Amino acid sequence: MRVLFRSSTRLGCVLLRAAGSGGSGFSTGGGRMMQYRIEERGRAHSPEYRIYFKTASGKYISPFHDIPLFSSEHQENDVPAKKQKRSDSELLFNMVVEVPRWSNAKMEISTKEPLNPIKQDVKKGKLRYVANVFPHKGYIWNYGALPQTWEDPNHTDKDTGCCGDNDPVDVCEIGSQVCSAGQVIQVKVLGVLALIDEGETDWKIIAINTSDPDAPKLNSIEDVRVSRPGQLEATVDWFRKYKIPDGKPENKFAFNGQFKDKDFAIEVIKSTHNYWKALIYKQTKCGEIMWLLNTENPCHFLLKWINGTSCPSDYIIKISVGVSAEIQTRRHSRKRPAFFQTQPTVWSSVLVLHLRIRNTPVHSGAEEHS
Amino acid sequence: MSFSTEERGNPNTLSYRVFYKNSDGKYISPFHDIPMYADEAQNVFHMVVEVPRWTNAKMEIATKDPLNPIKQDVKKGNLRYVANVFPHKGYIWNYGAIPQTWEDPGHKDCDTGCCGDNDPIDVCEIGSKVCSRGDVIKVKVLGVLAMIDEGETDWKVIAINVDDPEAKNLNDIGDVQKLKPGYLEATVDWFRRYKVPDGKPENQFAFNGEFKDKDFAIKTIKSTHEFWKALISQQTKAGELNCKNTCVSEAGSVFCFSPEEAKAVVDSTSPCGDAGSVPDSVDKWFYYEK
Repeated sequence: MRVLFRSSTRLGCVLLRAAGSGGSGFSTGGGRMMQYRIEERGRAHSPEYRIYFKTASGKYISPFHDIPLFSSEHQENDVPAKKQKRSDSELLFNMVVEVPRWSNAKMEISTKEPLNPIKQDVKKGKLRYVANVFPHKGYIWNYGALPQTWEDPNHTDKDTGCCGDNDPVDVCEIGSQVCSAGQVIQVKVLGVLALIDEGETDWKIIAINTSDPDAPKLNSIEDVRVSRPGQLEATVDWFRKYKIPDGKPENKFAFNGQFKDKDFAIEVIKSTHNYWKALIYKQTKCGEIMWLLNTENPCHFLLKWINGTSCPSDYIIKISVGVSAEIQTRRHSRKRPAFFQTQPTVWSSVLVLHLRIRNTPVHSGAEEHS
Repeated sequence: MSFSTEERGNPNTLSYRVFYKNSDGKYISPFHDIPMYADEAQNVFHMVVEVPRWTNAKMEIATKDPLNPIKQDVKKGNLRYVANVFPHKGYIWNYGAIPQTWEDPGHKDCDTGCCGDNDPIDVCEIGSKVCSRGDVIKVKVLGVLAMIDEGETDWKVIAINVDDPEAKNLNDIGDVQKLKPGYLEATVDWFRRYKVPDGKPENQFAFNGEFKDKDFAIKTIKSTHEFWKALISQQTKAGELNCKNTCVSEAGSVFCFSPEEAKAVVDSTSPCGDAGSVPDSVDKWFYYEK
C-alpha cells in the first residue's frame, strides 16, 4: 500500500524514503553502489549549520535511515554487479563520515531532527569542539556512523553491562585519506572496541576505506596492529581521555580495552541493525509506523490511498511542528482522501501512523508528487 | 616596534612569498632587519613564525633571496611538505627562527662536532595559540636541543610566547617537563624521525638528546648572533646568502638596500592570488616501530 502526498511549497516536498520499497524488506546490498550528495545550510561553525543528504537524482534522504548499511562491491562504469552471496567476512558497509581526521568540531547525525542532517553538537548552549589531548590533534581517524544501526537504550548489552547510547553505531576509519563531513564511503570492518562512555554502551568499529591503498591487505585487527603500530593503543588512549578536559572522568571499556576481531564486530553491527529495524517499525499498541516528511511553511498535504489496496479501518495522522509538538490529530475511517493545512514556524514534520493489518507490518511509502 | 607582512603569489605554489614591512611601511628583511631582542634586559627575543603548529608546508626564510621573504622549501622540484610521523600531525609547535642569528657553516661547534647549517637559529614555540605564518612574536627562551640534522649543527631553541596564559609559570626547561609532560620527549622523537618517510636516516643529537637549560640556550643564541654580526659586517663570507637589508647596513654598504630597490624586489613578484590545493599525499600518516 502506498500513500501519496501532494504539497505546494516553495521548496517542494522533501521526503524520507525508508530503505526498501514495497514489501517488508530492507535494502541489504547487492546492486549499485549508491552515490550521495550533500547540501549545506547555514553558516559553518554556527548552531544553524546543517548538512542534508540527497540521492544522485536530488531526493532528500536521511543518512540515519535511508542509506543502506550493507554496501555492494565497487562497480565499474556503473554496471551493476551480479548479486552474489557474500560470506560475513566479505561484507562491506557504508559509513557516513561526520568528523574528518584531525578536526575538532563535534559533528554528528542529528537523530532527533527531521531528515537527520549532520549538525554540530551543542553542550550548555555552546558549539562543541573535542579537545586536543596530547599527543593527539582532534580526532585521530575519520569518525562517523553506520547507517541503519541503533544502540538501543532500552537494551542492556551483555558484554558491557550498559544500555545503548541511543545513537547509530560509531566507526573509526583508519585510512590515509582525510574525508569530509557528509561523505559516504564504503568500508571494510576490521574489529571493534567496547567503550563505555559515561555509563552507556558505545561500540567503536575499526574500519578501513575500501579505496585506501592498504585496504586489500588489511583484513583483521591484527593486520592493523602490524601495519599501523601504535594506532590501536592511541585509539584506546583517545577514548579513555577525550572528555577529561571537559571535566568528565576517564572512560572505561569492556574486555579490558582489548579490541575484538572482525567477526565479533560484524555481530555487533548486525545486532544494532536489528535494533534499528525494530525502531523504524516501532509498533505501539495501536500499530504505528513512523514516517517523516519535511517541508517549509506553509504547506498543504493531500493524503490518499492508492493502488486500491485495502486500507486499515482506522488510522491516525499527527502533524507536528519541529520535533515533537503535536498540533493536530485526526482520526479517519474509510478510504478517503484527507486534506491538511499546516502553518509551522520553522520546519514541520508529518508523522503518519499506520496500523498493522492482519498482523503483518504495513509497509508504506511517501512519495513526492508534483 | 611592530611588523606587518605582505603576501605575494599563490599559497601552496612556487610563486608564494611573504614579505615584511616595519611600522614605517618600509620593506625589511626578517633575517637581518628585525632585532633579535624584543627586550634585552628581560631576555625576551623576537621569533619569526615560519610554520604554524599542526601544518605541514615547509615554509622558511629564504636566506638566498633578496629581502629574504618566507617561501615554501622545494626539494627535487616539488614543494616540500613535512610528513606526519605518527602520532604527530605536522609540526607539533609553532616553528620558526630568531632574526639576526646565523649558524655559520664555517664554524665547527665544539658540542656537536658539526658545522652550522647556514640558517638562522630555529625555535619551537610551545604555547597554546596556533600562530599564523609570518607572525613576529615575542618569546621567552626556556632551553635548547642540540640536533645534528644530516650531519650539520641545528640547534632547536624551546621557547614560549610571552602572551601565553602559562608564560609566567614557564621559566626554564624543568618547568616545561612539569607543566607539559611528554612534550619534550615528543620533540626529540619528532626531530629524530621526521625525515625518515623521505628516505633519510634518523637524526642524531649531542648530549644524548637531552635538553640544555635556559642559560645554555641564551648563550647559544648569543653566539649565533655574533656569527650573524660577522656576516653582516662582511667579516665572514656570505657565500650564496643574501645579506641585503634596509635597516642595519649603512648607506653605501654593498649590503644596503634602498627603499626603492626593496620595493622593486616585491613588485617583481606576482600579486597575491588564490591558494593552490595541497596534495592528498600530505595527509598520509607514517607508522613504524620506534
